[in-house]
This record gives sequence, structure tokens and C-alpha cells, in this order.
Amino acid sequence: MMRELHVSLNQTQRVRLQAAFQHISDIGSQASSGLLVSVSDTIPVNNEEGILKGHGTSERDGQVVATLCGVVERVNKLVYVRALRARYKPEVGDIIVGRVIEIAPKRWRLEINFSQDAVLMLQSMNLPDGIQRRRTAVDELNMRSIFEENDVVCAEVRGFQHDGSLHLQARSQKYGKLERGQLLRVPAYLVKRRKQHFHDLEQYGVDLILGCNGFIWVGEHVVPRDNEMVEDQESTLKDKEQSYTQLEIRQNICRIANSVRLLSALGFAISVDAIIDTAEASKSSNIDIKDMLGAEFYVQIAEREVQKRISLLKKKRG
Amino acid sequence: MVGLSAGERQFIHGGIAQDLRSDGRQRLQFRPISVQTGVIPQANGSARATLGATDVIASIKAELGKPAPLQPDKGKVSIFIDCSPTAAPVFEGRGGEELSAELSVGLQRCLLGGKSGAGAGIDLSSLIVVEGKVCWDLYIDGLVISSDGNLLDALAAAIKAALSNTGIPKVSVSVGASGEDQPEVDVSDEEFMQFDTSGVPVVVTLTKVGRHYIVDATLEEESQMSSAVSVSVNRHGRVCGLIKRGGTGLDPSVVLDMVSVAKHASETLIAVLDSEIASAEAIDDDDAI
Repeated sequence: MMRELHVSLNQTQRVRLQAAFQHISDIGSQASSGLLVSVSDTIPVNNEEGILKGHGTSERDGQVVATLCGVVERVNKLVYVRALRARYKPEVGDIIVGRVIEIAPKRWRLEINFSQDAVLMLQSMNLPDGIQRRRTAVDELNMRSIFEENDVVCAEVRGFQHDGSLHLQARSQKYGKLERGQLLRVPAYLVKRRKQHFHDLEQYGVDLILGCNGFIWVGEHVVPRDNEMVEDQESTLKDKEQSYTQLEIRQNICRIANSVRLLSALGFAISVDAIIDTAEASKSSNIDIKDMLGAEFYVQIAEREVQKRISLLKKKRG
Repeated sequence: MVGLSAGERQFIHGGIAQDLRSDGRQRLQFRPISVQTGVIPQANGSARATLGATDVIASIKAELGKPAPLQPDKGKVSIFIDCSPTAAPVFEGRGGEELSAELSVGLQRCLLGGKSGAGAGIDLSSLIVVEGKVCWDLYIDGLVISSDGNLLDALAAAIKAALSNTGIPKVSVSVGASGEDQPEVDVSDEEFMQFDTSGVPVVVTLTKVGRHYIVDATLEEESQMSSAVSVSVNRHGRVCGLIKRGGTGLDPSVVLDMVSVAKHASETLIAVLDSEIASAEAIDDDDAI
């Protein structure tokens, strides 16, 4: 369930925003390499013989037309449309963030915004404490001590099984349960595949994980533990209050989370640089954390993006 | 309904304790509210209110009817809320009925006053056409399109906006009718009368999480509530209705404290809502011309 941010703009703000988006689309049309189509647009295939019509295409009056909005992709003779507003399409090696929805024999099922649930097998993960796993029945019974239902988990896409189900793996200390923070959901196409998806923002004391599936984790920085598991099941209320995230770090978490929300509402690509830039812009212009989701800053960031793209274009042209 | 891990739950509790919630708000701050009026052309009045990601529509339909025999000098108003399956898959089929009924009853308590109609936000005697014979029946329908918590407050705001957008046709009664007969009425297509909506209260829901309480809880925050108190307050700061939800009991002193906090919060809410309604009406009028 993805919830959209609603921003109510006044007259001047609306005009400014329209101008900004017009700029962006002007720049985009000069620089775009891929072919963007909307429904019923003709896809030029230069009358090639034996074209294979893939997903999101149809034939009409001898021409290939799009039945989806998205980017035209070609693989040899195959032409298909990659829809933007669609569910996440996993690729092997993607780093994803998901939520455990079920514990089944020897496996966890995770919600990852794919058309089906992903499977994380007990055997394809290292235990959080790093010790060698013994394949016993007791081990299977203790699965809940590793991940429970509703836990937020970070993992890597391992591959598809023969039956089409998606398998994950978590064979490193950096994968595993995420705690003390918030999970945000953005459209999956806004997160591009990068070399690095784990970000330790030292200046903020915040961990940021950009899952390729559009699940973004913003949480307090935790040092990867490789020794004992913490046993604090029965803590008193006072202990609990002392162990809350520090206010300063919480402010940073909220600021970064709101940057992500804002970028996703504007439909701008979500990268670490963009997030930090937005957060810093809000700080330098003295915008309250909650006002980052307000109309004024919304327009401001759109205009900032225009400036960024113009300068980028100038640099390219040299 | 919302699944949260232990870590996320603790983060929300901590945020409320430290007065900095997940989206950067303080405990007594609302999300940005926006109002659009005249969204349903067939209705006598309608409005759409969004409160963050919560999105609701209210529509008002007026029909000529007969007043109840016990209250010959008053019209009738009924409120019905529906939860659309687009808001959440659980609302599909009969899944939303329980919540719909809860919201409907809640709003009736908050907006319609007592059984006799005393203390209602809408002046019921203004709905009368011929005493004891003809009156206007108002059907207020609310639809939840997207749910991100605090539905009751959003619906009350939408209804308030819709009422101020409502035009009831002027009715002229032919004089000849007398005695026991149902009088003949002529409904005008051109002349409308507006409601006086200044008395319609707003609803402020205080959700108690841990030791503190917050206004305008999101769905995630609502899932952590121990109990919630919805207070409807009118422009003069008078409490018009009070509902407590959630399992945990509350100390009477806490309830009193919550009521006074709700009254304080309602002042800002009414001010924001009034300016939103005014600007929405201005845009609506521009479009009409």
C-alpha cells in the first residue's frame, strides 16, 4: 500500500511548480536517450521483419503500439515496454528491504512489493551471531528468535527457483534485521541500481538503506555486531525510555525520511546525494522538519532540481 | 491491520515520548489539511478533505420529507459513512462495515447533538418547510478513499466543508392547501439558501500512546494506541460530543486534561479549516464562472 503525499499549493506556488516541471521536461527532451511512450503511442520499428511484440505492446493497423506508459526496451528482435508505475522486478544481486509476513518450515516469506512473496531459506543465511549453524530440528524451531513476523529485514536477491519463486540470501553481517528506525515506501522505479545501497551517513549518525524494491530504511546507526545476541526481553518502562533513540539523531532520521518522502512525491530519482542535498537545503533555509512536507519547500526543491539539471547540461556541453 | 516490528514500534513510542514524531511533527501538530468543495455536481453540496495521506469525500443530499410526529418543527439529518476498498484491501466486501458503523455513530454523536436535536451543529428548525407536514431531510454520506489514520477528524472536516458548500433550493408553498392534506410545494431551480455552518463543530481526536497523547495520528501511530478520545468542539470552545475508543481505561483527570487540550488544538484546526474552506469556495466560484 503506497500512500501519496498531498500538497495544497496557492496560486503563485502552482505557477512556479508548473514552470519548474516545464523546464525539466524541456531539458529532458533534449537529453533523453530512451524512448518514452504512453498508451496508444506508436513504437517505431522501421518496418523490420519478424519483430517480436513483448509486454505492453500490441499490433494495430500493422504498427506496433504501446499499451502501457513507460520506456521502450529492445532485446534483439523483442520489443517491450517497461512500465514505470509497476511493481518491483527483481534482478539477481539486488539489495532489497522486506517485511516478514510468515514463517514456514525452514523459510521465511517476505513482502517485497514483487508480484509474489519472496522466500528466505534458513540455510541461505548466516546467523546473526556468526556461529556455524547446526542443521537440527531445534534450529528450525528457533527460527523466531532470528526473525519474527513483521520484522524488517534486509537481504539480497539470490535467484529464481525452477517453480518461479524468488529466493533471497543474507550471507553477511550487513544483512539481517533492521531496528530503531522507520521504513518508507516509494515507487520502485525511483531507486536506481547502484554499487552501494548501504549508506552510513556519519555526519548524521544515521543508517540509510535504499532497497531496489522501493523500500527505504532510515534508522539509527548500528555497529555490526558479531558477538552475543542481546537478551533484553523483559525490560522495565524506565529502561525502555533510556534506550530510546537520542533526540539529535532522531531529528536527523526524521529530516532524511522527509527528504525521501518529498523526493518520492515529486517523482525525482532517489539517491544518497539527492537525499542529503535535500536535507541540507532544508537545514540551510531554516525549514522545520515537519514543514519539509509543506507546499513552499515542495516548490523550492522542484526549482532546485531545475537549477541542478541546467548546470549539469552546461557541464556536459563543456 | 498494520504490521510493525518491535524496533519500529519502539521508535514510534520513543518519538512520541520525545515530542518528535516520525514525520517531524510535535505531539499536538496536525498534518497539512486541504479542502476542495463542489466535487460531486449531482449533490447539493460536497467536499473532499485530505489530511496528509488520509483522503475522504463528503456529500450532502437534500430531499423533501415528512417531519417526525414527535418533532413537527424540525427536519431530519442522517449520517452514513462508507469505507472504500481502495483505501485498504480489508474493506473489500463486508470488511469495512464495522469501521463504517463506528465512524457513522461517532459522527452522529459529535455533530447531531441529542435525540431531540438540541445542540446540533446544524439548526434543524431551519430545515422545516411547513410545520408538521414538509421538511428537508439531509443525507450526509462520507466516503473514505484513502486511509492513513485519523479518519474521524478528516470526515468531520469534510462534512463541515460540504455543509458550507450546500445550497438548499427555495421552496414556495401554495397557499390553498389547508387542513389534513399534504400541501403542494414548488421547488425552485434557481434560488438557493445557504446554511449557517458557523455552529458546526470540528472533531479533534487525541490518541494516547504510552504516557502521552497526540493529535492527528497516522495509521502506524494508531496501531500503537492504548485508547483514544474524540472531542467535538465548536467555534466558541464548547464541547459538543465526546467518544472514547480503545480498550484501556483512562483516569478521569486524564480525560479532563485531554478535553482541555482538544479544545486548545481545535482553535488552530478551526482557523486552518476556515481559511481552507474559504479558498476552496473561491476556486469553486471561479470555475463556475
